[in-house]
Amino acid sequence: MLKICTVYFDGFYTPDYVERLHDSLRKHSSIDFQFVCISDTDVKADLVLPYNHHSNIKKHWHKLKFFSPHFAYQKPGDDIIIMDIDQVIVNNIDDLLKYPVEQNELVTYGQWWENKLGINGGFYKFKSGSLKFVWDDFALNPEYWQLHFYNNGTVHKKYYGEQNYVKWKILEHKAKLTKTPSEWIAKYTDDYKENLKLNQLYMDKFDTDYMILDKEVNEKLKVVHFTGVGRKINENYLL
Amino acid sequence: MRIICCKFGKKFTDWHVDNLKHMIDEYSGLKYDSFEVITDDLYSNWFNKFQMYDRFRDGENLYFDLDVIIYNKLPNLIRQNFTLLDDTWWRKPAHTPLNSSVVSWTGDVSYIWEKFKKYDEFFIDTYTRGSDEWYYKNIKYETFDRVCPSIKDYLYYKPLSYSMCTLGQMHHLQEKGWSGWYSNYFLKH
Repeated sequence: MLKICTVYFDGFYTPDYVERLHDSLRKHSSIDFQFVCISDTDVKADLVLPYNHHSNIKKHWHKLKFFSPHFAYQKPGDDIIIMDIDQVIVNNIDDLLKYPVEQNELVTYGQWWENKLGINGGFYKFKSGSLKFVWDDFALNPEYWQLHFYNNGTVHKKYYGEQNYVKWKILEHKAKLTKTPSEWIAKYTDDYKENLKLNQLYMDKFDTDYMILDKEVNEKLKVVHFTGVGRKINENYLL
Repeated sequence: MRIICCKFGKKFTDWHVDNLKHMIDEYSGLKYDSFEVITDDLYSNWFNKFQMYDRFRDGENLYFDLDVIIYNKLPNLIRQNFTLLDDTWWRKPAHTPLNSSVVSWTGDVSYIWEKFKKYDEFFIDTYTRGSDEWYYKNIKYETFDRVCPSIKDYLYYKPLSYSMCTLGQMHHLQEKGWSGWYSNYFLKH
């Protein structure tokens, strides 16, 4: 079975982000999957698991739990996808959901905008349990890892660095890192001028006429990711 | 014989108390006269546990933290003298070798409470890493044999040589959604 796994907690986003992602995934795919959400409130999902505010695990770090084969009732052979909820599916994503993955391999978004890290926490796909070291190593000392990349200056916001941690562990354990075609993903913001620049970059990179033009999206695009610290889904772009 | 546990703050809930009783009743083989739950939140931290030395001054006493897994018949853990766990067979000593996830004594050990209570504010300010360091540096104690390993070394298989494990940092394993070998012994959510 394919499980698409997310995390929601009260704060920056609202429960309708989960519903929007869930609905757009169902609308734009023909593949059977179970939609799972760790949440502190009712959300639209096939399986809702508790987000514990009193846990030593904080914020989006909860999503690392899905790397454990003992979490979310995974079965051997399951394919696991972890997605951030600040995304909207805009075209058929069967090719993304079916993207081939092997044991000891992590598939993540290829992206065309600057990404020195080379990994995008908005999308992880792997075989259930094959990367269990990501969770197991983290769970030995969550307090340390959750602040490690902030304390060493790699990131500049407390509790950021989850992507850095995953990348570190993938390298440390010599797992394979694979990226999906970058033209599948759009980066979009709530800033008009920045969106113009992003459109231009996409056009130059993929020799096409536009990325997102008003309500039109390029046919190559599958996902719009409202990425970046403090970014919300553009309210004018609720598909 | 008296079983004792403590529940205070928001980290642990009634489920955790019910779950401990469930594991004791179903798997431990322990026969007890009373199951006591201390809930008075005097200090908002782990020093709340010390109330048990004031409250229970007679008979056989056996205390468990709420974040343990009991999955088989326990060895005899009742002790005459004040006894707690020494963890240094599975971890480095750190600031204390001790672990008070399991504690036993018979009769009156209220001197522990009185020694702590007399300078409680000072001790809380001094022992910021927990009450186990306080035991280590302030009172005489005995330690159990190797009866309680850490789940961190047994995430994927049940340690058959033992009857219980401590969860340590891994309280999340008691939450809904986990399905390791340990989950079979917890009360259903």
